[in-house]
Amino acid sequence: MNIVFLTLSAIMVLGAVLAVTLRNLVHCLLALVVFFLGIAGHFFLLKADFLGAAQILIYIGAVAVLILFAIMLTRNISGTEGGRSSLGGAWWLGVGLASSLAGMMCVFVRRSELVTKLPYGATEEGVVKEIGKLLVTDWVVPLEIMAVLLTAALIGAVVIALEEEKKR
Amino acid sequence: MDAIYQLIHDYCPTMPDWLALALAILLPIAIVMGVFLTVFALLTWVERKALGRIQNRRGPNRVGPVGLFQPIADGLKLLTKEDIVPNAADKVVHFLAPVLVVVPAFMVLAVVPVAKGFIAVDLNIGVLFALAVSTASVLALFMAGWASHNKFSLLGAMRGVAQVVSYEVPMVLAAVVVLMASGSLSSVSIVEAQRGLTGWFVCKPWGLVGFVIFQLCAMAEVARTPFDLPEAESEIVAGYHTEYSGFKFALFQMGEYVAAITMGGITVTMFLGGYLGPGCDLPKFGWLISACWFFAKLGIIVVINIWARGTWPRVRVDQLLGFAWKLLLPLSLVNIVAMAVWHFAPNKLVGWVESAVLLAVAIVALVKINAGQTFEKRSYRFTS
Repeated sequence: MNIVFLTLSAIMVLGAVLAVTLRNLVHCLLALVVFFLGIAGHFFLLKADFLGAAQILIYIGAVAVLILFAIMLTRNISGTEGGRSSLGGAWWLGVGLASSLAGMMCVFVRRSELVTKLPYGATEEGVVKEIGKLLVTDWVVPLEIMAVLLTAALIGAVVIALEEEKKR
Repeated sequence: MDAIYQLIHDYCPTMPDWLALALAILLPIAIVMGVFLTVFALLTWVERKALGRIQNRRGPNRVGPVGLFQPIADGLKLLTKEDIVPNAADKVVHFLAPVLVVVPAFMVLAVVPVAKGFIAVDLNIGVLFALAVSTASVLALFMAGWASHNKFSLLGAMRGVAQVVSYEVPMVLAAVVVLMASGSLSSVSIVEAQRGLTGWFVCKPWGLVGFVIFQLCAMAEVARTPFDLPEAESEIVAGYHTEYSGFKFALFQMGEYVAAITMGGITVTMFLGGYLGPGCDLPKFGWLISACWFFAKLGIIVVINIWARGTWPRVRVDQLLGFAWKLLLPLSLVNIVAMAVWHFAPNKLVGWVESAVLLAVAIVALVKINAGQTFEKRSYRFTS
């Protein structure tokens, strides 16, 4: 297990580093997809199959495609125009912020009850059912708010597209 | 996998543990790959023969008896063909795309129960896994189109992405009724939930509608002919694989056909009772009979695909997307309601009548609403 974990993590770190250092935007996106896949792999490794599949469905099937469309609407995809941005004080600020965030995460995850309370071997048939039940009982309000928000976004997109149609 | 590991352990206890584990992992993969690659090779021959019949010609008839060795000849030809990479292409992405087209198609096979007790991995989220992984092919498609640096490739890829993203929505919603009926995401439990004389989900009103929606979306998702806009020869050369030759082109063909077979397998599992059929529970040859049932049903789906390809003209982009968003999506939502009505009905007959009436009204209404818009003349934006 340890070898699998380390290999997966190494691939993920490589993908993450490449995603922020590569010049070509589409290459960055593909590196990011490698990172997303690594997260899905970690979920599968932790026997959280549902989360793993959801990760693939949402992050690779939807988020990556969304970023793709956004990239196709921008200029300078290949990253050849303009010089490399100067990595001055901002770089150190970023490193400081990221490492302090990571440190905070470590502390809180270690302190959290979830680490000890997590039902290990979560592949039992009941887990998906349990998630479903919780979604329509305890978490029904956040679920509904999310649904309304997404519907509003969808209608908004249609309205914007319709206005453009009328102008022609 | 665990069963095979147990078997190896029982028969040769002297085998080292890591070898037994490796065998237990590799054996189902090898069987699945071998069987489905043979089916793929046969399918190309069947398709060309059937299309030939529809178009009043003979199809392949030179290599072997009735042209049966044509797939081998094709494979050899494509293997020995020169591999051309355009100068302006993005070399790494151009190389990776055909590989990534094949991977999701084969990964879905892992959760298709081919026979009673034979499934490569019985994930308890099998169907969700299949739906999630099959949508990942969209990235490979886009990579191919973008890396070629060719306007036709890019146009094909953009069409492909739009098509797959649109048809994914009604497809998942059509699958929801099956999950509601079986109460499970595992492909084996879904098959087992369809036992009985009229147990197959396709025999119920919501199941029939769900089956038709799912089948149409599956055809669109793997870009089979009425929906093959990403590779429309009459408009954009060959779409996203215009700049591919030799074995990379063969990989695209393989990805498309294997995806068609696996989507057919998922359809069979979800709506047509999978490996169920008379004799599938016999103690001795049950696995063989159930495998025959599965492949017979898969054959019917595949032939329907070929038939549709031979008889329907290619649709237009606006018709294609309008069909998904204006007809299939509302219909699949109504279908979920019909399933709920069925579930809460006092007895079977009432549920049957209520859900059938609900669906019939919805279909008639949706067709009426869409009738005027579906076939209106298209106005082009950048002409005149």
